[in-house]
Amino acid sequence: MQNKASVELHMVRPNQAAGARIPLVDGVEKVTGKAQYTADLEARGALVGAILRSPYAHAEIINIDVSKARALAGVKAVITGDDCGVAFGILPISELEFPLAKGKLRYRGDAVAAVAAVDEKTAQLALDLIELEVRELPAYFTIKEALADGAIAIHERREGNVERKVDDEFGDVETGFSAADLVMERSYHCAEVTHAHMEPHAALAEYDVERDLMTLQSVTQVPYYVHLMLSQCLDMDSSRIRVIKPFVGGGFGARTETLNLEVIACLLARVAGGVVRLKLSREETFLTHKGRPETDIIMKMGLTQSGKITAVQAQVAQRGGAYGGYGVITILYSGALLHAIYDIANIKFEGQRVLTNTPGCGAMRGHGTVNVRFAFESLLDTMACELGMDPIAVRRANLLSPEFETVNGLKGLSYGLPECLDWVEEASAWQQKRGAMPVGKGVGIGCSHFVSGAGKPVHWTGEPHATIILKLDFDGGITIFTGASDIGQGSSTILTQTVAQVLGVDYSRLRVIANDSAITPKDNGSYSSRVTVYVGNAALDAANNLKQILLQAAAVKLDCRADQVECLGEAYQVQGLPNTLISFADVVAQAIKGGGTINVKGTYFVPREHQGLGKQRGAAVGSTPGFSYGATVAEVSVDQDTGQISVDKIWVAHDCGFAINPMSVEGQVQGGVWMGLAQAISEQTRYTNGLHMDANFIDYRFPSIVESPDIEVKMIEPGDPNGPFGAKEASEGALSSILAAVASAVRDAIGIEMNATPMTADRILAKLIAREKQAKRQQPRKQEAR
Amino acid sequence: MEILPEFELHQPDSVATAVKLGAQTGAKYLAGGTDLMPNLRHGLGDPISLIDVSGIADMQAIENTAMGLRIGASVTLQQLVTNPLVLANYSLLIEAANTIAGTTHRHHATVGGNLCLDTRCQYYNQSEWWRKSNSYCLKYKGDSCHVAPNGNVCRAAFSGDLAPAMLVHGAQVEIWSAKGGQRIIDLDDMYQDDGANSLLLKPGELLVAVLVKPLPTFNTGYRKVRVRGGLDFPLAGVAVAVQGRGNKLEQVMIALTGTDSRPILLKGCDDLCGKPLDDAALKALERLVRTQTKPMRSTFIPNQYRSKVAVNISRRLLLDLLMR
Repeated sequence: MQNKASVELHMVRPNQAAGARIPLVDGVEKVTGKAQYTADLEARGALVGAILRSPYAHAEIINIDVSKARALAGVKAVITGDDCGVAFGILPISELEFPLAKGKLRYRGDAVAAVAAVDEKTAQLALDLIELEVRELPAYFTIKEALADGAIAIHERREGNVERKVDDEFGDVETGFSAADLVMERSYHCAEVTHAHMEPHAALAEYDVERDLMTLQSVTQVPYYVHLMLSQCLDMDSSRIRVIKPFVGGGFGARTETLNLEVIACLLARVAGGVVRLKLSREETFLTHKGRPETDIIMKMGLTQSGKITAVQAQVAQRGGAYGGYGVITILYSGALLHAIYDIANIKFEGQRVLTNTPGCGAMRGHGTVNVRFAFESLLDTMACELGMDPIAVRRANLLSPEFETVNGLKGLSYGLPECLDWVEEASAWQQKRGAMPVGKGVGIGCSHFVSGAGKPVHWTGEPHATIILKLDFDGGITIFTGASDIGQGSSTILTQTVAQVLGVDYSRLRVIANDSAITPKDNGSYSSRVTVYVGNAALDAANNLKQILLQAAAVKLDCRADQVECLGEAYQVQGLPNTLISFADVVAQAIKGGGTINVKGTYFVPREHQGLGKQRGAAVGSTPGFSYGATVAEVSVDQDTGQISVDKIWVAHDCGFAINPMSVEGQVQGGVWMGLAQAISEQTRYTNGLHMDANFIDYRFPSIVESPDIEVKMIEPGDPNGPFGAKEASEGALSSILAAVASAVRDAIGIEMNATPMTADRILAKLIAREKQAKRQQPRKQEAR
Repeated sequence: MEILPEFELHQPDSVATAVKLGAQTGAKYLAGGTDLMPNLRHGLGDPISLIDVSGIADMQAIENTAMGLRIGASVTLQQLVTNPLVLANYSLLIEAANTIAGTTHRHHATVGGNLCLDTRCQYYNQSEWWRKSNSYCLKYKGDSCHVAPNGNVCRAAFSGDLAPAMLVHGAQVEIWSAKGGQRIIDLDDMYQDDGANSLLLKPGELLVAVLVKPLPTFNTGYRKVRVRGGLDFPLAGVAVAVQGRGNKLEQVMIALTGTDSRPILLKGCDDLCGKPLDDAALKALERLVRTQTKPMRSTFIPNQYRSKVAVNISRRLLLDLLMR
C-alpha cells in the first residue's frame, strides 16, 4: 500500500462524518444514467417472460389449455398454477397466494399463466393462444359486499372473508368517556392509494441446468424474504439460490414482500433451462399493487374542558383485496399506533381486514397508521374548534414525556413532539394566521409518529436483527458488506458515514457492496424504517471492532499501550505526541502482518424491552427501539369556483433523533410530505366492477411539480439512546400528519369539514354547493321566526 | 408488456407526397406522436403505415397572409409559444398552448396534432387487456358505450386545448388530399359531436395549416380545470375574447373544450352584448353554457362537476377580462 498523503499527515483530523451533508454515495450513477436497474441488466440470450392476467374478478378455473401456446415456434416455456403447488406470503400465518392462480381467479389482473419466448411479439402471441375456461363466481368489490350474509369465501381458509379481526381495549374507554366534557364521534373514509414508484416491476432469473442453481435479480426491498420464498416455491435448498438486488427505483413498501413475478421468473427460467427477463408494464405494476387499503374509520374521542384526551375508540375496516400479504400487520399497526404519540390512558380498537376481489393491498409508507392518524387528528381539530381551543394547545395538553411506556406496553426513550410543535407554530406564524386569514385561505395542523424499525422481524429466528461485515486488506480500502437494501432512501450512504465517523477515515477508503446473497450478510430488508437504527447500529459495532484491531496494531507500532493510542482517522499517534505520528497505511500493514486480510463483523439486537411485552395479541407490532415524531402546518388556498385546493406552503418538523446526513433526512421528509400531500388532495385507485380505472400515470393523479408547495423542513434532534449517534427513522414519521393538516387548513379557509381523502375539487365544490343551498333554505325560515 | 404493432414508416418531404401516401389503405398521419404512440402501445389502432409529416417544410412555417396568420400543422407547441408573430397578436393561443401536457411533450406535440387529438374516455384510454376484459366499447372494437349504455353514439371527450382558442380567433383550416387538392373550411366545421368520429376529415385528408385572425380590440384569456397543473387534459376549458366598455359587453366570443366530443363555439353570445354584465347576464351566460355543453361520464370525475366548473370558469374569465 502506497501512502501518498504522508506529507500532509500533520494536518490530519478525524473525519467528522456523522451529521455531514454529503451527497448520496450512489448518487453519481443515478444522475449520470450509469446505474443499472433490473430491466437494464445485460443478459445474453435472455428470453422474454410475460404473464396472462385474469379478465375475471372471481372465477373457478375449469381448464387452462396451453397446448397451442406451447406449440408456437419460439416459445420456450409455458407454465400455469399446476407448475407450482406451494403457496407463499410474507407472513407465515397468511400464505394465501400462489405464484400463478390455482383453482380460482380472485381479481381482474390475477396471474393465470406465464410464458417465456424468444421475443416480445412471440410471448404476446403465446399469451393470446392460451385458452381459459372458467365458471364465474359472484365478486365482491367493497367491504360491505364481501361481508354480506351468504357471500362465498374468496379463500377457503378465510370464512366470511375476514382476514383478521382485532379487538382490544387498554384502560377503560367507557370510564374515560364519562369523565369527558365533550365526546364526539365522526366517520372518515380514505380511498385506496398505491406507491407509484418510478421503476416498474422487473425480474431477471437465470437457471443453471447443469448445477441446479438459481440466480434472481429483482426490484425487491427484501432480498432475504424473497430468498426464503423462492426456496419454498421452487422446492430448492436455499443454498442453491442466489438473490441479488441491483439498483432499485423506489419501493415505498410495494416491494417489502415477495412478489409473484419474482417466483414466476424463476419458474419460467427453470422450465426453459435458461435466462428469463420479466418486465411488467406500468399497468401490471399497478395491478400487482400491495398499496394502502381503502379504509373506513369511525373515531370517537372524549376531551375535558382543558383539552385532555380521556378516551379514544376507533373502529377501522380495511378493504384488503384478494390476498393476505401484510394485511394482518396493517390492521395491527392501525390499532397499535393509536398509542405512543399522546398520553392516553384509555384506548379501544376494533379492526378488521377484509378480503375482496380487488388487487391485494400491503405495506405502504406509514404502514397502517396514515388513515387512522388522519381520522384521529381531524377529530381532534374538530373538537378543539368545538371547545374553542387552539388546535396546537389541545395537542400540548396531551404530550408524553420520555422515557415513557404506553398502556399497551410500547416504550420510547426520546420524544421530540413538543419541539416539533413549537417550531411549526413559530415558523408558520400560526398565531397570526389561524382563523385570521381572508376567506379562501387557511392554515391547519397535524401530528404523527412512526416506528424506527419493527421490534420483531417477520420471521423470528433468534439471529441478530442486523449484521455488517467490514473487510480491510493490503490496499487500505475498507469494504462494507451489507444486506441492507438501498432503494433510493440512502441506506448505503448512512452506513458509509457511520463507519467513517467511527474510524475517522476519508470516504475514499470506503466502498459498499450490498445485496448479493452469495457475498453479503443476511439482512431482513428495507421496511418499517428499520435500516438506519438496526443496520446503522450493526455498522457502528463492526466499525468499533475494526477500530480495536487498528488501535492494537498502532500500539505495537508506536510501542505503547492501546489505550494510549490516539486515532486521527488517516493517522495514529501516541496521545498528545504529534512527533510519534504514523500513517493509516503503517497501521494497516502492522494489523495484517501474520493474520492477513481482516474481516470483522458487527451485529445489532433490538433490546428486549423494545420488542413488545405481550400485552396484546400481536404485541410485537408497534414495538420499536424508538419512535420518530412529526408536526406539520399546511397553508392552503381554496378556489371556490372550482373547489381546487392549492397547498401554498408546508412547514414540517421531524424528530429524527439525530440526522446522520441532514441533506438526506430533509430529502426523505420532503418525499414523505409529498406522498402525504398526494393522498390528501388527489391520489386514489378506483375500480369499476373490479377493473382498475387508474392503472397509468395519467389517471393515477400523483401531484405534479405545479402542485408542490415550498416545504420547509426542520429536524428536531433530541438524540435517542437506542439509535446510532442518537438517530431514529427519518422518512415515514411526518407523512401521516399531512392529511389532517391539509383538512384542518381547508376548514380554516372555508369553514368546511373534510372527512374523506382525497379532498378532490369535486368533493369540495359539492360541499360548498350543499352549504349554499342549505343557507338558502334556512334564510326564509329565520325571517319567519323573527 | 405493451409492444408497438408493426407498421411501415414514411417520412415524406412534401404535402403532395404525404397525401399520396396517406391515400393508401391503413395509412395514418403522425406528427409529434405524443398522443398517437401511447395509443398504439395500448393497442388502439393497427395502422399499416405511418406517414410522418413533421419534416414537411410547408407545414412548419408561421407566416402572415392575406387571410390572417397561417400556422403550419407541424409547428410544435413550443415553436408556437415562442414565435414572434404569435407573440405579437395571439397571446390567447400561447396561453392555451402552455397549458397542454408537460414541457417535454410541448417540444414534440404539434398544433395539428392537438387540433386532431383523438377523443378520450375512461373506457377507451386503457390497455388491450383492459378493454378486452370489458368487452371493448363503441369507439373501438365493441358495440356498446359504457358511458351511455343505451345510446348509440360514442361519448368520448374532445380534450384539445388549442381548438377553443383557435375558434375564438375565427380559425379556418387548410385541408389537403390526393384527389381533391386543397380545401379551406372553418375549424368549427371540422368537428362533429361523435366521440368515435369527431373529425369530419375524409380518409387520407391531411390538415396542413390553420388560419387565424387577430383580435386587436379584444381582451382574451384561457382557463382550464384539471386535476394536476403539470400535465393533465382539461376536465373543462374555456377560451374567451371580450370587447367591452365599462361593465358593458360590446362583443364576446366563448369556446369550450373537454366537455363534449367536440369543441364548442358558444352560440347566442350576442344576447349578452350591449348591456351591463350583471347577475341577470351572468345567469344568461350560465344557461348558454349549460344548454350547449353536456359533459358525460367519460372521466371518473363526476360530470356534474365538469358541468358546474365549465359555467364557473366561463363566468369568472368573462368578468376578469371585462374588468381588465
